[in-house]
Amino acid sequence: MGAKVPRNFRLLEELEKGEKGLGAEACSYGLDDGSDLLMTNWNGTILGPPHSVHENRIYSLKIHCGDNYPDQPPTVTFVSKVNVPCVDQKTGEVDPTKLPCLQQWKREFTMETILIELRRYMALPQNKKLPQPPEGSTY
Amino acid sequence: MALPKRIIKETERLMAEPVPGITAVPHEENLRYFDVTVDGPSQSPYEGGTFKLELFLPDDYPMTPPKVRFLTKIYHPNIDRLGRICLDVLKSNWSPALQIRTILLSIQALLGAPNPDDPLANDVAQRWKEDQNAAIQTAREWTAQYAKV
Repeated sequence: MGAKVPRNFRLLEELEKGEKGLGAEACSYGLDDGSDLLMTNWNGTILGPPHSVHENRIYSLKIHCGDNYPDQPPTVTFVSKVNVPCVDQKTGEVDPTKLPCLQQWKREFTMETILIELRRYMALPQNKKLPQPPEGSTY
Repeated sequence: MALPKRIIKETERLMAEPVPGITAVPHEENLRYFDVTVDGPSQSPYEGGTFKLELFLPDDYPMTPPKVRFLTKIYHPNIDRLGRICLDVLKSNWSPALQIRTILLSIQALLGAPNPDDPLANDVAQRWKEDQNAAIQTAREWTAQYAKV
């Protein structure tokens, strides 16, 4: 096991990866407030997976990295309405017990891990045909 | 995971012979992660301020430089809004012969000698070039507002 990267330096690494666009093509993320020295609140987007009802939709999310990130997972909330079982239909919050990467969180996971897994989750056979709220509606 | 001897020695020396105007204290649960303070140099707009920073020694230190960031807001052309520092010895001019001590002294020197021609915070650097007196005044105000203990 190597050196344990502290929260803030880990978030700076993620920020730089996100800014350089090295992240997965279909997902992006960045700081909500570029002068927040604590780097707590982030915005994410997921491009709806192809061959599903989500195709060509762009979903916005908010990601909250608390003091104990990345020892603890962030809280993730959809801003754009989406109908999938892991998302609370009143608040848009992702239920951490229903998304494997949040339920079995590991320190090496990143915000990108979560966004990619959410996108895969939307494309699962049982989720890809669920009726969806109108495009562009928000919680 | 044992801490390399080099890091232990550097830490011991930082404690035994502290650099005037600089403190660096490792976190108990992560001895590669330091809470740092740097006093603003005299005759600079940062005089009278005590700036908090954080420093982390990555796995391959000292083959790669420490990671350092300001935690106190500061108005300086080579330090951006997230406290990231543009300083050659933290990047291409790093050498394993340098140490935590020398890096922190370089950062303190950077406060005394801002370099708007190699900016990280573009808006600050531009103002520094266009109206240096006004920029220095802002730097003083920020010091008074954010860096007084």
